[in-house]
Amino acid sequence: MRSSILKSAAEPARAIVSDRIALTGFIVLAAIVAMALFAPLLATHDPLHINELEEGTLMQRTQAEDGSVRWVLSEPLGDVTVYDAAWQDGVGIAVARGGNVYRYDGQWAALDAPFTESLRAVAVSAAGRALIVGEGGIMALYDDTTGGWQQVDAPESVDLHAVAWSDDDTAWVVGEEETIWRLDLSTDAVSIETLQSPVNRGLDLNGIAFDADGSGLVIGERGVVLQFDPDNDSFSLLRLPTNRTLNDIHLTADGTGLIVGERGTLLAREGADADWVVEDAPDSRAIRAGWIGSEGEAIAVARNGIIMERHGDGWHLASTQGARHLRTLMVTEDHFYALGSDRFVNRLSPPTSEHWFGTDHLGRDLYSQNVYGSRIALLVGFLGAALVVLIGANVGLIAGYFRGRTETVLMRTVDVMYGIPFEPFALILVLLFEPSLLIVILAVSLLTWRTVARLIRSQVLSLRERPFVKAARVAGASDLRIMYIHIFPNVMPLVFLELAIIVGVSIIAEATLSFLGLGPPQSISWGGILHNARLSGAWRDAWWWNLPPGIFIMITVLSVFFISRSLELVANPRLRARR
Amino acid sequence: MSARRNYIIRRVMHGFLALFIIATLLFFLFRLGLPDPTAALITEGLTPAEREQIRARFGLERPLWEQYLIYLGNIVQGDFGFSFHYRAPVADIIWERLGNTMVLMLPAIALAYAVGVPLGAWLSWRRGSGTDTTGIFVGLMFRSAPMFWTGMIAILFFGIYLGWLPTSGMRTLPYEASGFLDKIFTLDFLHHLILPALVVALYYLGSPMLIMRNTMLEVYGEDFIEMARAKGLPERRILYNHAARNALLPVVTQLAVTIGLAAGGQVVVEVVFSWPGLGREILNAVRTSDFPLAQASFLVMAAFVITLNLLVDMLYTLLDPRVSFK
Repeated sequence: MRSSILKSAAEPARAIVSDRIALTGFIVLAAIVAMALFAPLLATHDPLHINELEEGTLMQRTQAEDGSVRWVLSEPLGDVTVYDAAWQDGVGIAVARGGNVYRYDGQWAALDAPFTESLRAVAVSAAGRALIVGEGGIMALYDDTTGGWQQVDAPESVDLHAVAWSDDDTAWVVGEEETIWRLDLSTDAVSIETLQSPVNRGLDLNGIAFDADGSGLVIGERGVVLQFDPDNDSFSLLRLPTNRTLNDIHLTADGTGLIVGERGTLLAREGADADWVVEDAPDSRAIRAGWIGSEGEAIAVARNGIIMERHGDGWHLASTQGARHLRTLMVTEDHFYALGSDRFVNRLSPPTSEHWFGTDHLGRDLYSQNVYGSRIALLVGFLGAALVVLIGANVGLIAGYFRGRTETVLMRTVDVMYGIPFEPFALILVLLFEPSLLIVILAVSLLTWRTVARLIRSQVLSLRERPFVKAARVAGASDLRIMYIHIFPNVMPLVFLELAIIVGVSIIAEATLSFLGLGPPQSISWGGILHNARLSGAWRDAWWWNLPPGIFIMITVLSVFFISRSLELVANPRLRARR
Repeated sequence: MSARRNYIIRRVMHGFLALFIIATLLFFLFRLGLPDPTAALITEGLTPAEREQIRARFGLERPLWEQYLIYLGNIVQGDFGFSFHYRAPVADIIWERLGNTMVLMLPAIALAYAVGVPLGAWLSWRRGSGTDTTGIFVGLMFRSAPMFWTGMIAILFFGIYLGWLPTSGMRTLPYEASGFLDKIFTLDFLHHLILPALVVALYYLGSPMLIMRNTMLEVYGEDFIEMARAKGLPERRILYNHAARNALLPVVTQLAVTIGLAAGGQVVVEVVFSWPGLGREILNAVRTSDFPLAQASFLVMAAFVITLNLLVDMLYTLLDPRVSFK
């Protein structure tokens, strides 16, 4: 029995190899099967892992002709977070994590900075000297006119958070533990004076700024604001109507000011002598940096790509691209830039060298999802088809061989099944019972066998009248033996043909169910990827999300159809004769 | 003649039997999957009195066999019950949705066959050539691409990138039509129809084309074609007047089967294009556990398929005199 079935399988195999189209189909299918088998090796990421990314984000404010504002992403400065940036006389300096410094004069370029610690703040003096401070008490002076670096030794190894110049030779540095240092930079031998904070509770100080008259403001943790009085050279506590941690302060020469802080804290003043007033923020995320102009126009940046702008009538959210975590603002004579980005979820990234097919709305790698998706498609495709052919071939064989009442009952059943529309039936089945792989396979195969049964039956009807069957019967062969050893090998070509076609049908059916969100939960499939794309609504922009799964489905089904075409020539010699 | 009449009567009886079996199957399938159909209604905010009313209406307090008889009785009377979700008679909803589905599917299928059949005949004439291979390839390609994906790509390209065509619904909202004909004979409707109909047509195109081509190849071997050739008829005339006519039968069969299945709509196309048809309705119905609507929609689809299958058999007896009425 085994040898005769093997022999009957040999002819379709030969047909596939000899037909170029079928061979192509076979190779493509083999490649996809290999992809499913070796998915863990081929996938570059865990398909369900939410990928995060750090970069030196640079966003620019653009204004369309109709006046609408949009902040758009520019080429990132690098792959580490930019913490601060400053602008003075046509030159911008940005400092970042890991000791990276960038210089801008129309073009961004990385500077060769002599440290690897994270740099938290930068301020440029009118004379073009940039003081850069960072974690672990790192301080360095960069002279833009000469390009030279001068390291400044800190009296203490504390994290420094902000820096400001009060005049051409005096710079102020604040940081954790209420550190306030005044640096005298008039000579190469830098002298550092430690000033006493009036609070003395070990709070972080996060920002410092000076008014035109030389008085200064230092802001920090828990709403602490220290006012520096140049006349008696000391700090006093200033009470502001907030106790949220404050992150940044900006004062203009005209006296307008802006302080920003955690949970959407915004404080503004209209002049040097005016009171600080709490303003309503349109978002309650942590605001990291702010800028105010002399006319009261202001900008504040926050995490998750939030940028707020104030134009006379209050604060509004600006339209931004992406959801980067913004850290700072750099304002030049005619442009506004927002910089930052700590690790953010790499949502809806177009294809890059890291993510070949881009990422989805949760930052998951789509290439890996597509690779893993082949598993469900092929599993349901082949298992479903095998089940279909198993049921269909046996029903057809039994009905065609026994005829009479058996045939009537079986074929009436097939007739009834022809009255059931496939998709709605599968829908109802999956929705009535818990969606699982088994239900999906059943939904795919429970109806499809009707075609196979009809085809096999008609073939068996003619085979059972052939002399070799009669001879077997005369020789005393049992019904089962005649059916499965004498007749069955002769319908094998047809069985293989149907198997191939139904594999294609099953794959599409599975994809359809998954697309409608009825696939096995917690699994990745091509249809499921498209379901997510549609559900998220982002598919209208993210072509890289829609395109690959469909192409994979199409290629797989097409390769199966190609194989079936050459099998058809075996099953139906009349087609072969005329080619 | 009487043999044919007996045959037809027998087939009609079979059709009713099939419908009865499907209705039975459906009843027990739903009872198996949703033991208490009103359970889903509690969240829908029905008052206890309303709930009791529904339970009584469907006879849910009675034994299963009695419920089954009530269910069958209601169907025979054309009473499909009351939709939980819409709070309206199911029959009204279904007829409207069925109409919507048909105005999408019928033009699409017509287009597919109007293009596919001549194309298939032409391919068979050029059999073995590059045109033939390309034609088969393209036909199979559209057949292999899942329709919802083709739809999404079409929306992306024609609807969003080029902005030529509307991508969802049947008409620009808000809109109020006074009647069905008024609803579909507008430019706005046709504008909305183009994209989904094209997607469906492309999917269906392959099947008449390939069937036509293959049957034509078989017909070419027949004696009457040799005869026509021997008479010296031009090849084109043999193709269209002699061969094509004889090859049409399987295509007609396929057409009727396709139309039958069209009632179920292409659920995914209706979903992708937000087309308010029966296919999308059945998906929503089961999602909202609106089982009277789901059950009835399914039954209507099945009735449609069975009727069209019946029609196929009758067409066969009319078109092909060789069919015997056994």
